[in-house]
Amino acid sequence: MTRHTRILMSVIYGAFVVYLFVPLVLMVLMGFKDSKFIGFPITSWTMDWYLGVFQDTEVLTVFAYSMTIAVSSTLLSLAIGTWIAAFLGPNRFRGKLIVFALTCLPAVIPGIISAISLRIFARLLDIEPGMLAIILGHTVHNVPFVALVVMARLSTQPKSHVEAARDLGADSVVAFFRVTLPYLKPALIGAGIFCMLLSFDDFVRAFFLGGYQPTLPVLIFAMLRSGMSPEINAISTIVLILTAVLGLWAERSMRRLNKGA
Amino acid sequence: MTQTDIEQAELGSATKDGGKRSLWGALLTNGLYQSITETLFKTQRRQFVLLASFPLFWVFFAHLGPIVEMFWISFLDSYPPTAGQEPRFTFQNWAAFFNEQIFIIPYFRTLAFATVLTFSTLVITYPVAYFLAKHVSRKNQLLLLLLLLIPFWVGEIVRTYAIMILLGNNGAVNLILRWLGLIERPIPFMYTSFSLGMGIIYLTALYMLLPLYSALEKIPRNYLEAGADLGAGAWTRFRRITLPLSREGIASGCTLVFLISTGYYATPVLLGGPSTTVFAETIAGFFHVAGDQWPTGAAFSAIMLITTLAIAGIFLKLMGRDGKGMMQ
Amino acid sequence: MSGERDVIVHLDKITKRFGKTVAVDRLDMQIMAGEFVTFLGPSGCGKSTTLRMLGGFETPDEGRIVLDGTDVTRLPPNRRDVNMVFQDYALFPHMTVGQNVAFGLELKGKGRSEIDRRTGELLEFLQLGGFEERTPDQLSGGQRQRVALARALAPDPKLLLLDEPLGALDAKLRAQVQVELKDIQKRTGKTFFFVTHDQDEALTMSDRIVVMNAGRVEQAGTPEDLYFRPVSRFVAEFIGETNLLEGKVRGSDADAIVIDWNGVELRGSAHGHRPEPGENVMAALRLENVACHPDKPAAANAVQGRIVSRLFKGSRTALDIRVGERDDAVIKAYVDAAKAQGLPQDHLWISWDIERLTLLKDSA
Repeated sequence: MTRHTRILMSVIYGAFVVYLFVPLVLMVLMGFKDSKFIGFPITSWTMDWYLGVFQDTEVLTVFAYSMTIAVSSTLLSLAIGTWIAAFLGPNRFRGKLIVFALTCLPAVIPGIISAISLRIFARLLDIEPGMLAIILGHTVHNVPFVALVVMARLSTQPKSHVEAARDLGADSVVAFFRVTLPYLKPALIGAGIFCMLLSFDDFVRAFFLGGYQPTLPVLIFAMLRSGMSPEINAISTIVLILTAVLGLWAERSMRRLNKGA
Repeated sequence: MTQTDIEQAELGSATKDGGKRSLWGALLTNGLYQSITETLFKTQRRQFVLLASFPLFWVFFAHLGPIVEMFWISFLDSYPPTAGQEPRFTFQNWAAFFNEQIFIIPYFRTLAFATVLTFSTLVITYPVAYFLAKHVSRKNQLLLLLLLLIPFWVGEIVRTYAIMILLGNNGAVNLILRWLGLIERPIPFMYTSFSLGMGIIYLTALYMLLPLYSALEKIPRNYLEAGADLGAGAWTRFRRITLPLSREGIASGCTLVFLISTGYYATPVLLGGPSTTVFAETIAGFFHVAGDQWPTGAAFSAIMLITTLAIAGIFLKLMGRDGKGMMQ
Repeated sequence: MSGERDVIVHLDKITKRFGKTVAVDRLDMQIMAGEFVTFLGPSGCGKSTTLRMLGGFETPDEGRIVLDGTDVTRLPPNRRDVNMVFQDYALFPHMTVGQNVAFGLELKGKGRSEIDRRTGELLEFLQLGGFEERTPDQLSGGQRQRVALARALAPDPKLLLLDEPLGALDAKLRAQVQVELKDIQKRTGKTFFFVTHDQDEALTMSDRIVVMNAGRVEQAGTPEDLYFRPVSRFVAEFIGETNLLEGKVRGSDADAIVIDWNGVELRGSAHGHRPEPGENVMAALRLENVACHPDKPAAANAVQGRIVSRLFKGSRTALDIRVGERDDAVIKAYVDAAKAQGLPQDHLWISWDIERLTLLKDSA
């Protein structure tokens, strides 16, 4: 841990930050290029592409569509994930490890396989490719994250709290809703926002489970297949801002979680 | 008692003299609720069964179900079933994989690629994780980590696009190289293994970084001080103390990155070319085209699933961890 | 004493096992209404398990618990008319003090105005008037404890359980709270079931103490009973500081007894035991009951000795006094510090009230 090592290390960190941010910065800049073609150098600048995005009803519809899916699947994931966490957390039973492994399963499967298996499953259940299929697909994929986060928070709840509630007249249901759920709030907020991000960003499931209406990542993908244009950059930049805000908000909530609020 | 008193008492929301009762109070004192919970919660065992009912249903149906289904139809000769024809059991879909070079090559390419990329990601991110864990004060660690997280929230498609802008013939890298006078014509970075590799490392770096950071951060400072005290130089300390103790982080990170990188579909399509076809594209080809190729696609997916989980499992066993869980 | 009150709890031969360990072994005991009873003992003696069985958090494997005539053995905690003050207070962090205290009443379906009134009364009574809007993290340890107490008292239970509630408080505060608790118990008239491992606490607050060891009751009685007339070695050692004297019985008449201890003759009280001459017995003599004199006193049971160790402890001095030739023949005594200074090192007399050297039921 000499000074030399420290300097070298901070340079490496700096380089890594640059490596992560530069492509995004370039992408943002390209959205201001006054030309139909993507490429450097940028000689003239314009705001038209950005303004165009807000006027393009197709794009706005897609934004709303992605948002709706994100919110719906998040609510479902939160409810299901919390129930699983409440079941797995405090109880000891044979086969608990298997149930835990199965809970985590959707998160460890490679993306393409997750999408394919869900597509097949949807067909089996006679669910048409479309909004419902995507919502369910996202829910399945996000439940493991919710379960893990809620389980971690749940394990820090002093047993005496629930016992006290029961002592004072609450049955299991009332104790859960009046005492445990408020305690879980920071975890639920953090996990919820994380689920929103995962759903909003997801490509592969939305691609295979979607119908004619694309989600935002699917739209961008399709646009890219037919050629790049600064319009895509403008859309992407807005996505960047949106997700950055969501992400920072999630981090703040999770931070409060660790402080033991 | 006035008329309103009686009405309120009947609604169950107010007591005669004590004012309005709360929702929960009303619920708990409600006769119907009491008799329902009397039977439902009678024994600990019964409560447990109730609590377990939906989660067990969900994880077996929604988590395991699709995988089981996928394996199931991989053994059918047609799916979705054509009208009037009963699908029959067959091994031909699985056999198709072994018979055609056009399938086997992307398969091995994907595995080799993923392995190389995993290792590269490890090498690239380890110093960064080390820096964060060891050379930065606790307060700043969170901030600096947060800084690294921001690019990851925007999603794979946008980030892949950003790499395209970077590496394109008119992209930033070529621009700088031309400006520096090092080249005359643009280097075709795009649609090669290089661009694809670059893209995947870009996308998965965080999944390696976080477990590494987590493991390194847990190593107590005084272990290294003790090592120095006993005469070990910086490199020795790293090799004999830090590296072994960060083994769990390395194992988690590598497993995660390996599994994730084999699963990408959009990035290889956008950044790769015909010479870099990955197995995910092969599989996808069976689904977005004709309907009755699904069973073959399912078989290939099954093969890929078995392979990647097996590799991950063996790797974890070698590194001394067991259980499929992602418990940190 | 017990004739004045009714039995409110009957622990009818309850047994609780955890795996192979018997935590509570055929406990049979009655608790009177309005009394302050303390279960005292070291960790693992079964006192906390008994407490939890009373609260409904554990179910006895055998036996019954009868509360005011009703068999509550298998009832869950929310169905019993029993409330508990937890060791860590367990105040709900997301609720205000007022909401915490009101919780039990709310779940009973009481109306808002009645709840507010009763909450206000209780908080006033416990000197927390006006604290309704505060949250638990804004309170001191002592205040939190009182909120926990208020919350447990609010639903007006038949029995109040207290699980080592003073453990988290510092010594000075603890002493103060002990007095306050006792006072509250007297004023409310509630039956308090208190569990602790601290014998000073038990002696200060209890109407009756039950000493437990390894799942069994060693002795039950008033603080004075336990202090002055311990029946077993365990109780004698657990409460106060005692000389344990093992010896052979030389003779006895009426209630007095003579023991040959390490070659020294000691006189004591048999307390109802009828040992045979020659039998091995164990007797207890409290350190502060040993009186030291520079010259031979008039008492019949005086013994000569010399001081082998002095330990100054502030208000008193602990003396080790050798009274015989054998190495083990050392009796410990607590003497007033000033008085100790006047005692000659090599040659002094010790004596005690015959009543104070009591036989224990454990034989050597």
